[in-house]
Amino acid sequence: MIRKDAWLKVHGKAKYNDDGYPAACLQARLLTSVFAHAGILSVDVSGAWAVPGVHAVVTGRESAVLTGPILQDMPILAAEKVRYFGEPVAIVVADEEWQAAQAVKSIRVEYQPLPVVNTIEDALASNAPLVHPGLMQYARTVPDVYPEENTNIANRVKIRKGDIAQGWKDSAVVVEAEYRIPQASHAFLETRNARAQILPGGQVVIHTANQAPHALRSMLAKYFSLSENDITVEVPFVGGAYGGKINPHPELLAYIASRAVGGREVRVAYTREESFYTSPCKTGAKVVMKLGADRTGRLQALQAEYYIDCGAYTDTAPVMAKAVAGSCSGAYYIPHIQCDSVCVYTNHVYTTSFRGFGHGVSTFAIERTMDKLADRLGMDPAQLRLLNAAREGDDSPTQVTYTKSNLGDISACIHRMKEIMQWDNGIWTKVSDSVIRAKGMACFTKTSTTPTDASSSAIVTFCSDGTVNLNCSVIECGPGMTSSLPKLLAQRLKISPDKVSVNLTVNTHAHPVHWKTAASMSTYMAGNAVLTAADDAIRQLKANAALALKCSPDDVEIDNGMAYLKENPQKYLELKDIVSGVKDSTGSALGGPVIGCGHFIMKHLSHLDRETGKGQTGPYWTAGAQAVEVEYDLTEYTYRLVRAATVLDAGSVIYPEGAASQVMGAMNMGLSCATREANVYAPGGELKNTSFRTYKVMHFAENPRYTVEFVETPNISGPMGARGLGEHGILGMPAAFANALSRAAGVQLDSLPVTNEALWYSVTQSQQEKSR
Amino acid sequence: MIPYDFDYYLPDTWQEAVDIYHTLKADAKNPLYYGGGTEIISMARVGSVRPNAVIDIKKIPECQSFGTDGTKLFFGAALTLATIRESGLYPLLSLATGRIADHTIQCKLTLGGNLAGTIHYHEALLPLLLADATIHIANAQCIREVPICDVLNMNGKLTPGELILMVSLNKRYAAYPYAHIKKTKAEKIGYPLVSVAALNVGGTLRLAASALCSFPFRFKDCSFADARPAMDIVRELLADLPEPVLSDTEGSAAYRQFIFEKTAEKIITGFRNGGSHA
Repeated sequence: MIRKDAWLKVHGKAKYNDDGYPAACLQARLLTSVFAHAGILSVDVSGAWAVPGVHAVVTGRESAVLTGPILQDMPILAAEKVRYFGEPVAIVVADEEWQAAQAVKSIRVEYQPLPVVNTIEDALASNAPLVHPGLMQYARTVPDVYPEENTNIANRVKIRKGDIAQGWKDSAVVVEAEYRIPQASHAFLETRNARAQILPGGQVVIHTANQAPHALRSMLAKYFSLSENDITVEVPFVGGAYGGKINPHPELLAYIASRAVGGREVRVAYTREESFYTSPCKTGAKVVMKLGADRTGRLQALQAEYYIDCGAYTDTAPVMAKAVAGSCSGAYYIPHIQCDSVCVYTNHVYTTSFRGFGHGVSTFAIERTMDKLADRLGMDPAQLRLLNAAREGDDSPTQVTYTKSNLGDISACIHRMKEIMQWDNGIWTKVSDSVIRAKGMACFTKTSTTPTDASSSAIVTFCSDGTVNLNCSVIECGPGMTSSLPKLLAQRLKISPDKVSVNLTVNTHAHPVHWKTAASMSTYMAGNAVLTAADDAIRQLKANAALALKCSPDDVEIDNGMAYLKENPQKYLELKDIVSGVKDSTGSALGGPVIGCGHFIMKHLSHLDRETGKGQTGPYWTAGAQAVEVEYDLTEYTYRLVRAATVLDAGSVIYPEGAASQVMGAMNMGLSCATREANVYAPGGELKNTSFRTYKVMHFAENPRYTVEFVETPNISGPMGARGLGEHGILGMPAAFANALSRAAGVQLDSLPVTNEALWYSVTQSQQEKSR
Repeated sequence: MIPYDFDYYLPDTWQEAVDIYHTLKADAKNPLYYGGGTEIISMARVGSVRPNAVIDIKKIPECQSFGTDGTKLFFGAALTLATIRESGLYPLLSLATGRIADHTIQCKLTLGGNLAGTIHYHEALLPLLLADATIHIANAQCIREVPICDVLNMNGKLTPGELILMVSLNKRYAAYPYAHIKKTKAEKIGYPLVSVAALNVGGTLRLAASALCSFPFRFKDCSFADARPAMDIVRELLADLPEPVLSDTEGSAAYRQFIFEKTAEKIITGFRNGGSHA
């Protein structure tokens, strides 16, 4: 099946939000902070007003609203102080963008530099400067966020499972390690952008590149005391999102800018540089981990502290801290766990959801530690993973009992991965005097950490020729949901997928609510809603057909574009004859147009207990195994990626081509993060790499050979048994890579990214230590 | 987007170009000579430069010089790096310029821009330093023809208003064994960790490096024909650096030095083994 968006995209005809806007639209540009932490003593905007074409200059003093999805700690424009380099301080609205840009240059801000919290250690020091002295006063949108007074700690999530003392008693072998993962950019091609206008009747219209139009509508209503049905949010194709376009940012700026010019439409589009230093990024982390096993290699105890660098504002980071804690044991069963996941403020760029939602942190830590443990035990690392892979009857760190359905078959994934990588032929090979090849493995699991009542809905309507329209609110930001959902619907309606069209633009007035296109939950949530809507439509189709066939609806079967009598398929009607009601030979009509409605809401989810972490954050897990093979040059201290593979338990694969490409893309992203991507901060907290000249992502030609395979253990609650898989391909890549390269080079690579220089440094340090 | 208006001039001759420059300067304008525009556009976008006039040099015949008169090779300042790369006239220059940015950008970048721009690597300069090239510079009065080493080696700068028309070099340099190795932090394309060019002029090693220090420079020539280990020669070269090794986000000084050592050693060993290029 060809993707529904394929022809538009390959012809360059797909329209993204900033591809066109009305000529009357005013243009805005931002003034952003040049300090990472400073008081704002004064803002002199008189120079900006002197620039021709300027309609408004808005500063933080005119907008007191504090925003945030969890803790409302973030102003739309900084008012009293700036907390990160790149934070918006003022916004100028003008006829032309260049006028706004000129005016921005004419604003004079007097800053009072403050001590900068530039590392996690800085943040946790006993006398640390406070990024948010008023932390405890911030409104909280959820009951389970726990900021700590007079600290830089925005949240702490605890896991206390089993009896950790007993765990250490049962452990014959214990390994300890510390890991570092840097902040990094989402690096999407389409920078964030939005337009806002306030109509004369008070209605607000937002056009934006955003993953969560309905959530945006709710937030906007809340922040500005509007009625939700007065707000329309429209989102066309989104040019890459990866979690970085969920929570509002340019939308809020565009709204206050529009408000300042009497409601005229205003466009805010971030420059590439702003996309690095103003837009939120991926969290950084420091992990201290201790893992124990008995002599046979069975895991007994895990103790871990995770410090999540959330930057200047929390956004979704407190929930990511929860996700990290909840996934601390990775794909393995561990009876005794004690872990704290701490969300820490710094004066770095603020952070938000990023593909993997914190699971990249927990996975890297546990999977590197598993390799160290295997070394210590003298055991094959794949064997250690097989021995400890979680299975039916075990329980998770948050004490949810695993079932075959909710977990899938991790062991099957590992077994298949061993075959693909020819693991048993050796995982360390000397190819020549100067070249070593080595393989590394990592497993992963991920569930969602959505609100407990996250929901989705779908509407199915028909054209008079019997073709089908699917209306739903999943954003097409790349993953191909606008293809897999029509495919699901076609399957249930027993028609060809090319008979189903889907809305490629989402409009909150026209399309029914979907929580967010996030958390790898779109196939699951929207897919279930689509199937319910399909069933509803089928019921109505049968009712219409029954009127014409003079039978009970139960006597009717729908298949292959027909409705026929089960007992006599010769008596049939085509769909076109029943989708709008039915008519008899006299023209008299009965029934009515078919409109299938379906919805879905998460069930059985709960907040985590504050002391033990007991509870359920997601409906099921998606798990799998990944491996990387690298080639290491002993003389140059350089490496090359040779091959990467993923075996993932997809439950059932709805759209094979889409699923494979989604996993492969995620693997590439994982390898890019593992090998080069990192925000680099100067001693003063200024972000140094703010363009693609210095912030490198992997080039096409550098990719290794990829293999993606699926295991299918049905997820009973999923549509057709499916599990989500949008993010998962990224999770194990950094650890599988670091495990392979650590093995090849004989060093412990525990900090990301592993650049050639980092590798050289590790190897030469280790050589020096040995020669001492 | 460049958020302000600026004037654009397209002179036919170098005299006209230089005149325009000085007239604008006298008017307190801030003109820049314009070749491919990549650096002016990207820097004006973010406000790092703010020219209010640009003087496009692409129609000046000297700036389009390209080819040979039988003994010398000529490369005009307005030639794109792609043109130079594809010509193969001076293989070392083709190799070194072919590693600056990607093909799309090479079709815009010009030789003059690479030599005189603010991005401090100037990798196109290295092969020219090694070939004792002559640089042809126009000023208000005349065209100066001077050794490029005297003008641009070690962070040398032109006087404001001077315009590079072309470079020329003796054709025999195109025939010597040569090598160029560029190492980057992570990618094939990117700013160099070190970029090293070398010529083997009858047993004498001519070596020039970019990104090892904050400016490109040519090392003192040395013989590599003796039996000394290549690394000894490299250490000798390193002992005579014009300034400490560069340290920045691309790489630390210690790592740069390591990469340079490996690179230079490889080049010397290659020359000893009769290799032509790397």
